[in-house]
Amino acid sequence: MTAASLAASPVERRPASARAGLVWTLVRTDFKARYHGTIGGFVWALLKPMSMFIVLMAVFSFLFASKPAYKLNLIIGLFLWDFFAEGTKTGLTSLHARGYLLTKAQVPSWILVVTAISNALITLAVFWVVIVVFLATFGHVPSPAAIIAFTAYCLAMIAIVIGFSLASSVLFLRYRDLNQVWDVVVQAGFFIAPIIYPLDILPERFHFYLYIWPPTPVIEFSRAALVAGTMPTLRGHLYLAGDAAFCLLVGIAVYRWLSPRAAEYI
Amino acid sequence: MAPITVDAVSKAFRIPTVRRDTIREHVFGVLRPQQFHRLQALDSVSFELRAGETLGIMGRNGSGKSTLLKILCGVYPPDRGRVERRAAVTPILDLGVGWNPELDAVDNVCLIGSVMGLSLAEIRRSMDEMLAFAELQEFANLKLAHYSSGMSSRLAYAVAFQAVREVLVLDEIFAVGDAGFRQRCEERYRQLHAKGHTVLLVSHDPRAVTSFCDRALLLDHGRVVAEDTPRQIAERYVSSLTSQAAGV
Repeated sequence: MTAASLAASPVERRPASARAGLVWTLVRTDFKARYHGTIGGFVWALLKPMSMFIVLMAVFSFLFASKPAYKLNLIIGLFLWDFFAEGTKTGLTSLHARGYLLTKAQVPSWILVVTAISNALITLAVFWVVIVVFLATFGHVPSPAAIIAFTAYCLAMIAIVIGFSLASSVLFLRYRDLNQVWDVVVQAGFFIAPIIYPLDILPERFHFYLYIWPPTPVIEFSRAALVAGTMPTLRGHLYLAGDAAFCLLVGIAVYRWLSPRAAEYI
Repeated sequence: MAPITVDAVSKAFRIPTVRRDTIREHVFGVLRPQQFHRLQALDSVSFELRAGETLGIMGRNGSGKSTLLKILCGVYPPDRGRVERRAAVTPILDLGVGWNPELDAVDNVCLIGSVMGLSLAEIRRSMDEMLAFAELQEFANLKLAHYSSGMSSRLAYAVAFQAVREVLVLDEIFAVGDAGFRQRCEERYRQLHAKGHTVLLVSHDPRAVTSFCDRALLLDHGRVVAEDTPRQIAERYVSSLTSQAAGV
């Protein structure tokens, strides 16, 4: 594309109220189409990680009987992982699934991608409450600082998922088996992230490599703040912030590069 | 000032001889370079859409009409040249598609209305009017999966006619529905024209172009080959079809 045509990109004259309406309608209709517009349907979405938690806890709590906080760490890991897996899978196919809107009119397509993960976000918000209540029930009432830190880690995870979704959604239009590749990566990633096992059972020299996988620092830091009651180091926080910013910025860059021609690949 | 100025716009598509749509195909084909045909859909197209006029565009299949409309509406970027839009454009493109089959008509109207720039308040206020225009009040809560293509198209027209702010871009006007629906569309078009809205109309129908347009262009192989009165352009279009059929 030449500089002339970039400069000529039509100015979008969408009023702010119309843009807000578009976001709300996409979120509402996505919820309705997925869960048939009922709370009962939404409960099924929560049951998947819940049942996984019960099964894994029943099996692995014997293996890690020496670690009393195992079930608390497990629920935190599983719920954060569920958001990551669901959010990235939905985000990846978002532009393809909503391609019929892209060819209708000039629409800010990043809104189609970001709102596609709204259901995973709603689930994360519910999990946030469930985790805090679960911890309190088992005598680990989180301090206000721990809750603030956990919220910040969730925001970092959201930034990672949005960054991934922006990049993968435009790549998926060109590479239609990317979702199958990502399914395999997610399956392997479930075991790379220390979800069902404590990180300290692995030699410390491997920890660095596990932390490269973005969900690992989010899960480990959340456990440290909520269960162990210890705050990660400043260096650790800087690493997580940098990781989230890197994922988001790379996602935005790939999206800005490929999205102008997205409609041609629908 | 003209609501839309198209200045030397060109657009080409690279059509591969064998499509590679997956990572697997790209990896296994890394030693076999892909070959492409270049399809020049638009070649240095320039024109102005003047305020308040209805401009008709005619051309045979493959002349670049749909690509031009998608560039005007911001769906496709041009390869070269520039499109200056100084007014909000409401398109009716790809009729019959663009719906979520799992949602009913009301939710789909909210979705498409929002995409076309209507606020939720505007959509709610005019919902009954849009459904009545499409004669679909009884089927307002039926999922679009159960709609016929004619019903979907009527709904698309109803939403787009409601969403018009300044410029309306129509691909094959009034090509759907029965005589009654077409009459309502024509009536609505006349109301918009009387209010001073600008319309760009692409059609294969000489009657539609001569009846509704103030001026017309003829596209051929991605180029504007004529700009004249609607009657002249319609006659030239029909004669080009006749000579094509005769193999001239």
